[in-house]
Amino acid sequence: MAARLLTPIVLLAGLTVGVPSQAAPFKCPHVGGDFVFGQEANVNSLDQMTSSTISTRNVAMNIFETLMTRDENNRPILDLAASMEESPDHLTYAFKLREGIKFHNGKPLTSADVAASFERYNKVGLIRSMLANVDHWDAPDPQSFVVHMKKAQPTFIDQLSSFSVPIVIFPAEEKDTPPQQLKAIGTGPWELVEFVPGSFVKLKRYEGYAPNASFEDRTGFGGYKQACFDTVIFRIVTEPGARVAGLKTGELSAVEDVPTKAIADLKSDKNITLLPLNNWWIQIALPNASRPPTDNLDFRKAVQSALDMDEIMDAASDGNYKLNVGFQYPNQPTYTDAGKETYNLHDEALAKKYLEKSGYKGETVVLLTNQDYAPMYNSALVMQQQLQAIGIKAELKVTDWPTSVNMALKPDTGWNFFYTGWGTQPALGPLDTMAFLAPPSSLYMPKDGKDDPDLVADWNDMNAKPTAEARQEAFARTQKLVLERVYALPFGSFTKVQATRANVQGFKPFRIPRMSNVWFSN
Amino acid sequence: MTRLVLRRFASALPILLMVSLITFALMRLVPGDPSAVIAGLSATPEQIAAIRADLGLDQPWPVQLWRWYAGLLHGDLGRSLLLGQPVVEATFLRLPVTLALSAYALVITLLFGLIAGIIAALRQNSWVDQAAMLAAMLGISVPSFWLGLLMILLFAVNLHWLPTGGYIAFTDDPLGWLRTSTMPAISLALLQAGLLARITRSTMLEVLRQDYIRTARAKGLPRHLVIFKHALTNALIPITTVIGITVSLLISASVVTETLFSIPGIGQLLTQAVLNRDYPMVQGGLLIVTALLVLVNLIVDIGYALLDPRVRYDTA
Repeated sequence: MAARLLTPIVLLAGLTVGVPSQAAPFKCPHVGGDFVFGQEANVNSLDQMTSSTISTRNVAMNIFETLMTRDENNRPILDLAASMEESPDHLTYAFKLREGIKFHNGKPLTSADVAASFERYNKVGLIRSMLANVDHWDAPDPQSFVVHMKKAQPTFIDQLSSFSVPIVIFPAEEKDTPPQQLKAIGTGPWELVEFVPGSFVKLKRYEGYAPNASFEDRTGFGGYKQACFDTVIFRIVTEPGARVAGLKTGELSAVEDVPTKAIADLKSDKNITLLPLNNWWIQIALPNASRPPTDNLDFRKAVQSALDMDEIMDAASDGNYKLNVGFQYPNQPTYTDAGKETYNLHDEALAKKYLEKSGYKGETVVLLTNQDYAPMYNSALVMQQQLQAIGIKAELKVTDWPTSVNMALKPDTGWNFFYTGWGTQPALGPLDTMAFLAPPSSLYMPKDGKDDPDLVADWNDMNAKPTAEARQEAFARTQKLVLERVYALPFGSFTKVQATRANVQGFKPFRIPRMSNVWFSN
Repeated sequence: MTRLVLRRFASALPILLMVSLITFALMRLVPGDPSAVIAGLSATPEQIAAIRADLGLDQPWPVQLWRWYAGLLHGDLGRSLLLGQPVVEATFLRLPVTLALSAYALVITLLFGLIAGIIAALRQNSWVDQAAMLAAMLGISVPSFWLGLLMILLFAVNLHWLPTGGYIAFTDDPLGWLRTSTMPAISLALLQAGLLARITRSTMLEVLRQDYIRTARAKGLPRHLVIFKHALTNALIPITTVIGITVSLLISASVVTETLFSIPGIGQLLTQAVLNRDYPMVQGGLLIVTALLVLVNLIVDIGYALLDPRVRYDTA
C-alpha cells in the first residue's frame, strides 16, 4: 500500500487539488478604499472554534486560516500546510507548514501553534468529535505537525478541512482561552481593528500576509489571497429594508440576503450588481419517527405522497427556489437523485390509500415551527393545509427558534414534524448532511429507540469504505433509504441573493463573503 | 427631603430582588437553554450534556441561583455566554448608546408634546387645537417602525441628508452623533410626544378652569404670568409623573428603533440575549436596567416633591 502525498500538484482519489498554474498570481488591480458589507445577522463572538453560526464564520474566516480548507467546489485543499503525507496504514498524517507565515501580532507560525490550536479545539471546539479517532499529535520540528490516529478513518481529511466549525490556527499563548473569548489573532489577509458586538466589525489589510503561492487565485476559503481594500467593515444591518436602502445610497458597498421583493427595483439600478448564490439552503421537515402517528411508515408515506413541493417552496422562499431531490445540491459532484420516485408526488389518491393503510384515527399531528425564520414558518403553514386536505388533523406549534431546537432534540416533547433548513452541511458534502439523520445525532430518533439496521449499515459504509466511489455509493443508498422510509422530507433549495455596488469588482458569492481579491474599480 | 430619598432607596432593594428572582425563574421556565443554541442542530446528546456541564446548567436551580447571588455580592454579574464578555462590561458598553438616544428622544418629546399641548389648551376648539391634536393622534397611531422606514427612504435614500443607519458616539463626533441619531430619536419620540401633548392639553384645561386662575386674571395679572407661573407650574405636577414613565417607555421601546437603524443599544443586546437564552446576560443586564429605571423614578419623585410642597410635608 503506497503512502499518499498531498501537495498542491498531486491529484488524489477523492481529493482533487488545484494544479498550480504557471500564470502570474493575482495582483490587485486597484489597492485602497474602505469596503462596507451589510451583514444580516449579529456577530456574537469571533471565536470560530466555539461558534457554528454563519455570521461568525463570515468575519472570522477572513481573519483566521486552517491547515486545510475547501476550494471553490468544496474539495479539500491545503491552506497553511505546504504538504500532507498520509501513511500507507492510514494512521498518520504528516503536515509540513508553509514557510514565512506570521500571525497578526508579528509572531512566526510554527507547529507548536498548530498543536496548541488542536489542543484547544479538542477541549472546547464544537465539533471536537472529529478528533475522536485521533490518538495524539506531535510537532517534531517547527515546520512539521503529525497527527496519529487510533484507527484508520477514510473521512478524516474531509472532516479536517470542513469549514463548519474549523480548527483555526492561533498563537500558542491563547491555548487556554475559555470558550467565546479567543482573541482574533490569525494569519489571514485581514486583521481585526475593532469589534463592537451588535454594531460592526472592522478589519484592515494585514501587511505581513504571506499568500499561498501554490495557487494563482482565491479558491473557496483558500488559494492565493490578496487584500485589496484598506479596510473592511462588516456592519450589522438586520432589517432587510435598511440593507437595501444602505446599498442604494452607497453607504454599503455590498449586502447579503437581498429580500426577494426588492430584487426588481435593484435590477433596474445601474449602480448595483445583483449576485444570486444558487443552492444556499435546503428547506426540510423532519418527522418524529418515535411518536404516533409519525412512527408509522405508512402514515409518513401518506404525508410524503400528499406534498406539493412547488407550493411549499414558493411560499417559503417568495418564489426564489429550485426543486431539488435529496440532500446535495445539483452542482455538486456528490449529488444524486436516488429516491427521486418519492419526491414531489402531490398524489391525493395515493396519500389517502397510505393513510387508510396506516390506520390513522384522526390523531392530532403537531407541526413544530418558528417565526424567527419565515421560510420555516411558511413551509409549515402550507404543509398544514396540504395535510388537512387529505384528512389529517394537522396543527401548528409555533415557538421561537431556540425553543424549537430544544424540543426537536428531544423526541418526547409532543411534536410530529420539525421544520428547519440546512445550508452549510449540504455544501460540505454527504457526510456532514447525513450525520443529522444517523446515530449519534440527537435528531436520529428511531421507533422505540431501536436502530434501523439498514440505515446504520449504510451510514457506516459512508464513513468507513476506503474509496470515495464506494462512499458515494453508500451515500446514494442512504439517501434512497431515508426518502423511502420518510426519515426526512426535503422540500427544495433556496437561492440567496447578494448585491454589490457596481464599482465593486471580484466579489463572488460563496459560503462566506470573501473580502480577498475584491477591489474597487474607481 | 433626605428622608424621602432614603425611603425611596430602601424601597428599591426589594424591587431589585424581585426583578432578579422573576428574571431568573422566567428564563429557566422558557423552553430551550443555551446549550442547544450553542451546540446547534448537529449536536449529539453527549455534546449538549457537555456544554450544559461547562455552563453549570446541570446544577439544580437553587444552586445556580445561589452562585449568581454570590457573584452579585462581589459585584460580579457573570459573563455573557455568547459574547464571552463580562455582563457588566457588555451592558455598560451599550447602555450609554440607549441613554443618549432616549435623552434625545425625550427632548423631542418634551419640546413637541408640551408646546403642542399648551397651545392646544390655550386655543381650545380652534383650528390650532384641532391641528395639534390631529398631529398628536398621528404620532400615537403611526408605528415607529414604519415611520422609521419612511424617514430612511425620504431623508437617506432620496435626499441624502442623513445616513440610513449606524451609530457614532457623541464623544467621538457630536455632529456625527446628531446625524445618526436624529431619525431614530424622532421615530422613538413620536408616540410619546403625541401622548404627552394630549395629557398636557387636558391637564392645562383643567387648571385653567380653576378658581385661582380666574382670580389671577381678575387681579389683572399679565397673561404670560397667569399661564406660565400659575397655570403651567400646577399643570406640571401630573405631567412630571408622566415624563418619568415616558423615560422608562423610551428605553424599553428603543429595541425596535435600534434594530431598524442598526444601533448597538441595550434593547438590541437584551433581545438577542433572550433569543439566545444567554442567562447571565439577561439576568445581569435586566438588573442594571431596572436599577437605572428605579433611579429615574426616584429623580421624578424628587422633582415631584420640589414642585409640590405637599409631597415633602406628607413624607416628612
